[in-house]
Amino acid sequence: MKRPYYIMSSGRLRRKQNTVYFEPVTPAESRLQPGNDNAEGDLHPRDAGIDEELLAGFTEETEADPITGRVQRKPIPVEDIEAFYCFGELDFNTKFFNFLSQQKIALHLFNYYGHYSGSYVPREYLPSGFTLVEQVRAYLDTHRRLLIAREFIEAASFNILKNLQYYSNPSRGSIEKLIDFSTAIREIETLRAAIPRTDTTNELMGLEGNIRERYYRCWGEILGQDFALDKRVKHPPNNAINALVSFANGLVYATVLSEIYHTHLDPTVSYLHGPGERRFSLALDISEIFKPILADKMIFKLVNNKQIQEKHFRKELNFCYLEESGRKIVLQEYDERLKTTIKHRSLGRNVSYRQLIRLEAYKLVSHLLSGEEYKAFRAWW
Amino acid sequence: MYVIVVYDVEEKRVAKVLKFLRRYLHWVQNSVFEGELTEGKFKEMQAGLRKHIKPEKDSVLFYKMRSDKDFEKEVMGLEKAGTETML
Repeated sequence: MKRPYYIMSSGRLRRKQNTVYFEPVTPAESRLQPGNDNAEGDLHPRDAGIDEELLAGFTEETEADPITGRVQRKPIPVEDIEAFYCFGELDFNTKFFNFLSQQKIALHLFNYYGHYSGSYVPREYLPSGFTLVEQVRAYLDTHRRLLIAREFIEAASFNILKNLQYYSNPSRGSIEKLIDFSTAIREIETLRAAIPRTDTTNELMGLEGNIRERYYRCWGEILGQDFALDKRVKHPPNNAINALVSFANGLVYATVLSEIYHTHLDPTVSYLHGPGERRFSLALDISEIFKPILADKMIFKLVNNKQIQEKHFRKELNFCYLEESGRKIVLQEYDERLKTTIKHRSLGRNVSYRQLIRLEAYKLVSHLLSGEEYKAFRAWW
Repeated sequence: MYVIVVYDVEEKRVAKVLKFLRRYLHWVQNSVFEGELTEGKFKEMQAGLRKHIKPEKDSVLFYKMRSDKDFEKEVMGLEKAGTETML
């Protein structure tokens, strides 16, 4: 199973010896650059393999550390890379991108504040005219489009309810809290009941907004008042919890996009979101289903276990973003979550969350091609 | 599966084997690589490696485990490199 690589430090990614090398900048250099903390020392991977290269009479053209004389670089096995998630200040060159294309590796960029800013997705390697035609045909057919879009929201809100039900367990809180949750659950169920009656995707999006808004109002109870989410604010987030949600959702989006890339689907043709949103909107559609499971539950866990605290955020001019230390904690947890396996009911074997996303894309393909009913993923535990 | 590869090859071929294995596995110390591979990738790696060594002079060992949970690793002294994915 290939793994995603998260690059937190600054430096250069390059192609070398038919694999990928990460060369961190030396701390002296990085101090000159903005957005770099000095606490970078131990992030530097130790030099690897240099002794063997000396033995083999190998010459090294990259700059060596002036003090130790060693080159701080780390080879990454190219066959092990699922995708790159870059958070540091990085340099690339065309050779490197060509290599990524050849190896079919996607690269996702996050800006200085940890917000998703874009992806490098190699040229389609599984182009399928049939799938594209069917994808577009389903989009143009208002009825079919709505069916698929509704299914996304049905599943997303179902997973939201699952989260609330989990926290409304009597063992986890006071009576008032439970009442609060049960009203929230009831209200969301009422909203859900309206999903099959929607006539346009805009209406559906509005409904989804209402569901989310009601859902977010419960977060104060789940996370404690310090981390209450009164209002979801993006561009830019205005408080700690909004920053955390933005960061986590960005990760989910990037993961979904990576998985779609490995299927026949064209990520720009979407059903719930309009295809003109300048993003790979199919990834947005599918993310909706997985956000409650991957992002929200992770946030609850991180905050409630005090793994993420106020100190992991930096407040500057009402702008809240995650410090590098905080980002690292979230990424570690996120990586763990993606690897977590569950026993798949119909496949009868263990499947990781990441594979679950891929399966979701496959289900959509088979719906589009064979008209098999599309049933989006619903958490059953 | 999780694989540990240990090699003992003649000096002039060390660099070749080293470079080749870096594509598939993580270097952990001199002549030792480890990492997760699928059955197919493992076969592919073995086939590629065969081209770089002389069977009558060199020796390469493969320790195959079902997963990295099947063994415990302890380090004494320096840990030269890990297999982490967060850099």
